[in-house]
Amino acid sequence: MAQFALVIDLNTCVGCHACATNCKEWNTQAAFGPLSDFDPYGAHPEGVWYNRIMTYETGEFPSTQVFHLPKSCLHCQDAPCVPVCPTGASYKREQDGIVLVNYDDCIGCKLCSWSCPYGCREFDEADKVMKKCTLCIDRIYDETLPPEHRKPACVLTCPARARFFGDIEDPNSEVYKVIEERNGFVLFPDMGTNPANHYLPRIETKINLEEFEKHILKPDNPLFLEVMKRHHVSNKAPQEKQVEEVV
Amino acid sequence: MHPPLSLIFFFLTAGTSIGLFIFMYAIEFLQLFGKGQGLPKEVILKLGVLELILIGLGAFGASFHLGHKLRAWKAIKRFRTSWLSREAVFSGAYGVSLLIYLVLNQLGVNPFFEHFFGILTFILGVLSGFSTAMIYASNKFVLEWNSSITVIYYLLMYLMLGSTLMAYFSHLYNLPYLGTFIFLSFLFLALGLGFRLAFNIRQFYLKRPTMNEALNLPHNRPIRVVDTGTTTDNYCTEEFYYRKGKEMLSTVIPVAYLLTFVVPLFLVLYAWITGTANHWILGLTYLFVLVGSALERWSFFVEGNHVQNLFYGLYPEEGYRLRKGYMERKETKISLYG
Repeated sequence: MAQFALVIDLNTCVGCHACATNCKEWNTQAAFGPLSDFDPYGAHPEGVWYNRIMTYETGEFPSTQVFHLPKSCLHCQDAPCVPVCPTGASYKREQDGIVLVNYDDCIGCKLCSWSCPYGCREFDEADKVMKKCTLCIDRIYDETLPPEHRKPACVLTCPARARFFGDIEDPNSEVYKVIEERNGFVLFPDMGTNPANHYLPRIETKINLEEFEKHILKPDNPLFLEVMKRHHVSNKAPQEKQVEEVV
Repeated sequence: MHPPLSLIFFFLTAGTSIGLFIFMYAIEFLQLFGKGQGLPKEVILKLGVLELILIGLGAFGASFHLGHKLRAWKAIKRFRTSWLSREAVFSGAYGVSLLIYLVLNQLGVNPFFEHFFGILTFILGVLSGFSTAMIYASNKFVLEWNSSITVIYYLLMYLMLGSTLMAYFSHLYNLPYLGTFIFLSFLFLALGLGFRLAFNIRQFYLKRPTMNEALNLPHNRPIRVVDTGTTTDNYCTEEFYYRKGKEMLSTVIPVAYLLTFVVPLFLVLYAWITGTANHWILGLTYLFVLVGSALERWSFFVEGNHVQNLFYGLYPEEGYRLRKGYMERKETKISLYG
């Protein structure tokens, strides 16, 4: 059975909040909107967001690392928020595994948000219903859009290309492959929720300059001359470079 | 968790109504077997109408925590999976069944149907209380609530409210059950106190998940929240972390204990030992239990810590700290049945 989900690469996520902003921009005007705001230009702006970006720091000074964690509904495969809903307004679609809220049936009892260990459901005080990420279901099935645009708004906008969207149960999909290849992990694995959204862990990339100088810049390296030539060319002024290319 | 006042109100009204009916019908039921003298019809009418009004007020009050009150009837749809749905069904059925019982009792036409609906109302009342308690006890993401203690002492609180009020009415209507209900009040107050203490003591021994578990990081890695994405509070930080309540909790809990359990226990013991039962002592006992229960419910909500607070760094730290470099991975198993 298909299970659509997001895979977020924590290695490339720069925490720019573009996904959250574009999510809000798209969803406030689309089928599942509006996402109400209160006091938006005042001292205490507050509102409904499907996607929030948390920033954490690990390690101890001076060897610390900062990473950003975009957190939207994880579309859990054993979603704990669905069975607690007294009206059946909260449901998980069989065909693609997306967890949705039927606003016409939601009585706003907030019990589903109590049953979500990730805090990914938010109550809209204006509409008095529970709202959550829909994986932009109104975009991904919209046949009037070109096929490359049939993705969630957050995936399309991510400038760092840190977000992937697809069917995590399909071995041929991009998301399946990145999860397999790069050890995708989930949040709160012990809670028995089996989240569909995965995160790709940070990989520390180190460049050892000493090694570089020792091996690559050695005169007996067969590529030594080529390296030096390129280095020489790239250090020249642009005009000279052009002349050289023409020659 | 943020305490919803409408749910506290529902607890007080439904608790009094169901608790009172349990004892009222128990007397009637015993009469079937020739034990006791039953209750006069006018007393049943008065108490029954009070119970009906209370459960009605409770249902009306509880609807105030809903976003859409007029859709509340839809809450019966998921009876199979949702405890909230079960609560709604059982509370509603309790009210209807109680009304039928009262009519049959007053008309006195058919004792079989009268007692059939009496027993049905009794069972529905208990099930309603049980379902309400299970809403909290089945939530495995609030570890403080996720225990059978929550259910037991929730039902004991219903019995405390019922028995203390029944003792008052026994005195008011000159019923021969005053001594019994003074004893029952004492019994349920003492049991309630015991289970409430157990509820609080259990919190010290909870194995709490850590932020590392939430973020699926190695357990020896120090981690702290730098930014939560917004400069102000949001739904998650307000609903699951009641900042003002947490500050007041250390004052409110002792007061709640005092008003709900200690003072009523002394009053009941005084009445029992000295044999001086008057309106003041018995009325005050119920009032103390009522006001104390409101504070106790408030504390119950504020004491609950939702695991989603881990993402905001607002979750209490676990009881022990791991040594630096200690690589053991702690397994947190949270089972639905405590």
